[in-house]
Amino acid sequence: MDFGTLIAGILTLAIFTFLYRDNPIYRAAESLLIGVSIGYVLVITWTNTLMDLLFHPLFRRGDWPLVIPLLLGAMMFGRFYRRTGWLSRFPMAVLIGSGAGVAIPAMLDARTLRQISATVTPLFAGSAWADVSTIIVLAGVITTLSYFYFSREHRGALGFSSKTGTYFLMLFFGTTFGYTVMSRMSTFIGRVEFLLTDFLRLTG
Amino acid sequence: MKIESRHLAFIGLAVVVVIAMLVGGRPDLTPSADSVRMHEYIASLAPGSVVMVSFDHEASSLPEIGPLAKAFLRHAFSRGVKLVGVSLLAEGTGIGYRLMEETGREYDCEYGKDFVFLGFKPQWVAAIVAMGESISKTYPEDYLGNTYQDIPMLAGVVNYSDVAGVVSIADGSLTTHWMEYGHARYGITVSAFVAAAMVTTYDPYLASGQMHAMVGGLRGAAEYESLIGVGGSGGRAMLAQTVAHLYVIVLIILGNVVYFRSRHTGRK
Repeated sequence: MDFGTLIAGILTLAIFTFLYRDNPIYRAAESLLIGVSIGYVLVITWTNTLMDLLFHPLFRRGDWPLVIPLLLGAMMFGRFYRRTGWLSRFPMAVLIGSGAGVAIPAMLDARTLRQISATVTPLFAGSAWADVSTIIVLAGVITTLSYFYFSREHRGALGFSSKTGTYFLMLFFGTTFGYTVMSRMSTFIGRVEFLLTDFLRLTG
Repeated sequence: MKIESRHLAFIGLAVVVVIAMLVGGRPDLTPSADSVRMHEYIASLAPGSVVMVSFDHEASSLPEIGPLAKAFLRHAFSRGVKLVGVSLLAEGTGIGYRLMEETGREYDCEYGKDFVFLGFKPQWVAAIVAMGESISKTYPEDYLGNTYQDIPMLAGVVNYSDVAGVVSIADGSLTTHWMEYGHARYGITVSAFVAAAMVTTYDPYLASGQMHAMVGGLRGAAEYESLIGVGGSGGRAMLAQTVAHLYVIVLIILGNVVYFRSRHTGRK
């Protein structure tokens, strides 16, 4: 067994001890995970971003316009001191302005307009099953939207619709929860497979 | 040492999973329409096509993401598809490179000629949009420090117009950005292999045609393995997955029986 597998096996078991209760062995393994993760992200960000996209082009190839993002980035550190805090407002303004400008049309298009477009389809255009499916989608959209309509008391037809909407919401939450359980089980099974195959070598 | 009921539930789960893993065996699976669609899409790519694979996940989801990624990589390499690996999450960087390198070796694929790994770039929106203009400016060097222009496979790959599609391997919502910026703005075909927990998030995108194909969870990995005729850890874990789910269902029923009985007793 190689050293890496031995360490991975011990750390996996250390994390599993939390299932009994919180303990120093679990906390040591958790702290190690956090420390290693942050260190890894810092190194990757330094080499793949600051060196590749800023320092190498600026100082080796003389790409001088990059002085602007370098200065803006440096101004962000002004936040660490009260007297220089105002400096960080400029890069923040650039970040928020450009970020919102890029994000708003893209999100409006992908998350709203295209979803509406995909929902508004002919009711009876395909096979019988496809038609039933379309009607269920239509009922789900209308009743769920009515649940979030708060300008009128939910009584009568609106009450019935919003109540039906809650059932659609519960179906969604149930499905999502089921998938999440499946996902977590997969992670557990993956670690058990590692322990049995690589660490303990009980299976091939 | 005090043993509580939740400890018994955990021990029971560990016992059924370990027994299932030791027994082995692969249940027969009928691939879902989603898995078949993804398989048909990858199979339809001409040998030599360039596909970008984005490792948009963290290390913690590797037990689920690993089998999915390997199933896709095996299919792509076996079809002679050339792969450009990137990562929008720093933690996916080392894992992505390792998975591509290991799987590429199985098919005698050569780094720089059949596949390349460009590495990580922060600010995913900026990275996706920047690659739409120029991949070489976004990644002047690959993960190993080779200059973009010196990599033979990347000759002629300028931006998304030279890429057949993007396959995002994700455990979170990063694939959404590929659709919002890559697909909507540059028209690139986006497909995804995702953790089961994200399936319901991406279903509306799949239904609206913003995502071309999706395979989800360990079950999806097992189905894809059966479609490409290669055994992998997805199929190996299916028996354990099945008994673990049955165990959870039994616990839910048991919990409800105990609850209703105690309520009934309380009324008396």
